[in-house]
Amino acid sequence: MQAEDQQAQPAAIAAPREWTLPKRPSVAANIWKFTRRKPLGAFGMLIVIAMLAMTLGTPKAEFGTPDLPSRPLGFELGKPWLARFDAEAIFRDVDTGRIARYNEPSTTHWLGTDKGGRDTYSRMVFAARRSLFIGLWALMFATVIGTAVGVVSAYFRGWFDTIVQRIMDSFQAFPALLILILLVSLRPPSLTILAFGLGFVGVTSVQRIVRGVVLSTREQPFVEAARVIGATDLRTMVFHILPNIMAPIIVVFSIGLGAVILAEAALAFIAPQRVPQDPSWGIMLQQTRDAIPPFPPFAPFTILKGTPQGYHTLAAGGAIALAVLGFNLAGDALRDVLDPRLRVG
Amino acid sequence: MQQYILRRVLLNLLVIYFVATLVFLLLRIDTDYVVTQRAGQTSVAASGSSEDATEQAKKLVREDLGLDKPLLKQYWIYLGDLAQGDLGESFQAKDDVMTEIGNRLGPSLELGLLQIMVALVIAVPIGIISAIRQDSIVDYVLRFVSIAFLGIPVFVLAVFVLRGSAIWLNYTPPLTTYKDLFPFPPFETGRGVDVWMNLQIMFMPAIVGGLGTGAIIMRFLRSQMLEVMRQDYVRTAWAKGLRERVIIMRHSLKNAMIPVLTVVGLLLGTIVSGNVILETIFNVPGIGLWVVNAIGTLDYPVVQGVVLVVAVTLVFVNLMVDIAYAWLDPRIRYG
Repeated sequence: MQAEDQQAQPAAIAAPREWTLPKRPSVAANIWKFTRRKPLGAFGMLIVIAMLAMTLGTPKAEFGTPDLPSRPLGFELGKPWLARFDAEAIFRDVDTGRIARYNEPSTTHWLGTDKGGRDTYSRMVFAARRSLFIGLWALMFATVIGTAVGVVSAYFRGWFDTIVQRIMDSFQAFPALLILILLVSLRPPSLTILAFGLGFVGVTSVQRIVRGVVLSTREQPFVEAARVIGATDLRTMVFHILPNIMAPIIVVFSIGLGAVILAEAALAFIAPQRVPQDPSWGIMLQQTRDAIPPFPPFAPFTILKGTPQGYHTLAAGGAIALAVLGFNLAGDALRDVLDPRLRVG
Repeated sequence: MQQYILRRVLLNLLVIYFVATLVFLLLRIDTDYVVTQRAGQTSVAASGSSEDATEQAKKLVREDLGLDKPLLKQYWIYLGDLAQGDLGESFQAKDDVMTEIGNRLGPSLELGLLQIMVALVIAVPIGIISAIRQDSIVDYVLRFVSIAFLGIPVFVLAVFVLRGSAIWLNYTPPLTTYKDLFPFPPFETGRGVDVWMNLQIMFMPAIVGGLGTGAIIMRFLRSQMLEVMRQDYVRTAWAKGLRERVIIMRHSLKNAMIPVLTVVGLLLGTIVSGNVILETIFNVPGIGLWVVNAIGTLDYPVVQGVVLVVAVTLVFVNLMVDIAYAWLDPRIRYG
C-alpha cells in the first residue's frame, strides 16, 4: 500500500530518502521495562488486575439506571466467574445435616465457611466487586468535582479563591470517618449514598492538588497565548489547562482508590449494621472479631489451625490489606513514571 | 507574627461557622427517616391504636430534636446554643453532651498522644538508619517493612493482634469505663489514676496505631534526611572532621525534622479517625467508642456533638502546628 502511494506522487518530488526509523517498542517490551524499573509497582498492578478479574461476571441483557451494587455499569452482572458458589448459598454437613459453621478449608470450600455456613472464598470474590465499584464511583465523583473546583479556584485567584479555599478548609476539618458515620446513620443503608459520601470526603484533597498544579500551569506561555487570541475563560480552562494537568489527575485517582477502598472497609467494620449487608470484606472481618475461642492450646500457628474462624479473619483481612497495598504501590509507581515531582498526601 | 496569628484565628472562626452549618444541614437531609428510625426506639405509653402510638412517638422525637419549628428558626436556636457551648442532651441517657465529651476526652487524647509517641520512637531511628545506609540491605529491608505497614489497615492489624494475644498468650486487655481509666478531675474522686490498668488498656492500641503512622513518618523523614545530607553545610561539617554522630544528630536531623513536624500535624486528622476504630476494637472508653455506640442507638445529638467538637479541635491544632512551624523555621514568611 505504502509503496503504491509513493509511486503515485508526481515525479518532480525526489524520492524520499530511505529512513530506518527506530522500531517502536512493543507493548510486551514496555511492560517488561516497567517491571524491571518498578518491581513493586508491577506487583501492585498485578493485584489490581487480580481484583478486576474477580469482578468479572456474565452481564445480563437489561439496561437500567446504574445502581450499586447490582448494576454498577448500568447492567446487572451475574455471579463472578471466579466465585465457586453463590454468595448466599448455605451449606450443610453431609452426615448430620447441620449448617456447616466455620468449616476448615477443603477442596469444596477453599477458605472454609463462615458463621452462617456460606463459602468464604466465594464471598471474598463477591466482595471485591463491591469494594472496587464503590471506589470507582467515589473517585469519579471526587475527581470530577475536585478538578472543577480546583481549576476554577486557581484560575480566577483573588478573593474568589480565598473564599473557596476557606470552605474547603472547613470540609477538611471534618474527620473523614466521623462524617461518613454520621452520613450513613442519617439515611437508609445504601451503597450509592455511601459512594457519594466517600467521594465528597475526597473532594478536598483532590482539589488541593489540582489547584497547586493549575497555579503554576496558568502562568505558562500557552495559556497567555490562548488569552491573547481571545479565548474565553471557559475555553482556556477546558481546552488548554485541563489536558495539561491530566497526569496528576490520573495519579490522584489511582492513589485515592486505595484510600477509598480502605475507608469503605473501615466503615463496614465499625458500623456493620448501618451499611448494606451484601458481601463485604469489612463486615467479614467484623464477624470474626469477637469470635475468639476461650482457652486454645499454646502452639505456633494456632491462629490458623486451632480456630477455624482464623481462616475467615485471614481471608477478609488479607484481601483488604492486599487491595490497599496493591493500589498504593501501583499509584506510587504511576506517579514516578508520569509526574515525578508531584507530591500526593 | 501577631498579626498573622490574629488573622488565622479569625479565619478559623469562619471555618468553624461553616463546619457548624454543614453539620446542621447534614442532619436535615432526610428528617423523615431520622424521625421514623428514632421513633422506633422510643416507647410511648399510648392509649389507643398502634398507629396512634407511632404518630405520638414521631411527634415526641420531632419535639425532642426541635424539628417542629421552621428551618430558619431551628438554625437560629442551633447557633445560639452552640455559642453558649450547649450541645443538647443525649437521647439515651439524657446526659449533657458537652459534659460527657469532657469526661471521655481524656482516654482519647492519651491514646492519640501515645500513638504519636510510639510512631516517633519507631520512625526517627529507623528513618535515620535507612537514610545514612541508603541502598544497603538494611535500607531495603526497613523500607519494605514500612511499605507493608503502610498497606495493612489499622483495623486488620488490630484484629490480628487482639486474636493473637488471646490465642497465644491467653491475654486480653481488661474492660473498664472512663471513670476508672481516667477519673477527671482526679482529685475529685480521690482515687487518682490507676497507672497499671491505664497502660494495660493503652499499650496495644497505641502500638498498633503507632506502627501505621510511624511508617508514613519514617518514609518522609528518610527522604528529608537524604535531601539535607547533600547540602553544602553538611559537607563542610564532614570536612571540618566532626564526628559522624554530631553531623547526623545535630546538623542533619535538626533540619530534616522541621517538615516532618508538619506532617505529624497533618496526620492528626488521620489519628483521630484511626482512634475511632482502635477504641472500638480495644474497648478504650473514649469519644470514639462512645460515638460508635451512639450510632447503634441512633443518638443524633451525641454524634452531632462529637463531630463538632472533634472538627473544632482539629482546626485549632492545625493552627498551632502552623504557628509552631513558623517559629521553628524563621525563614517561613507569614502569608
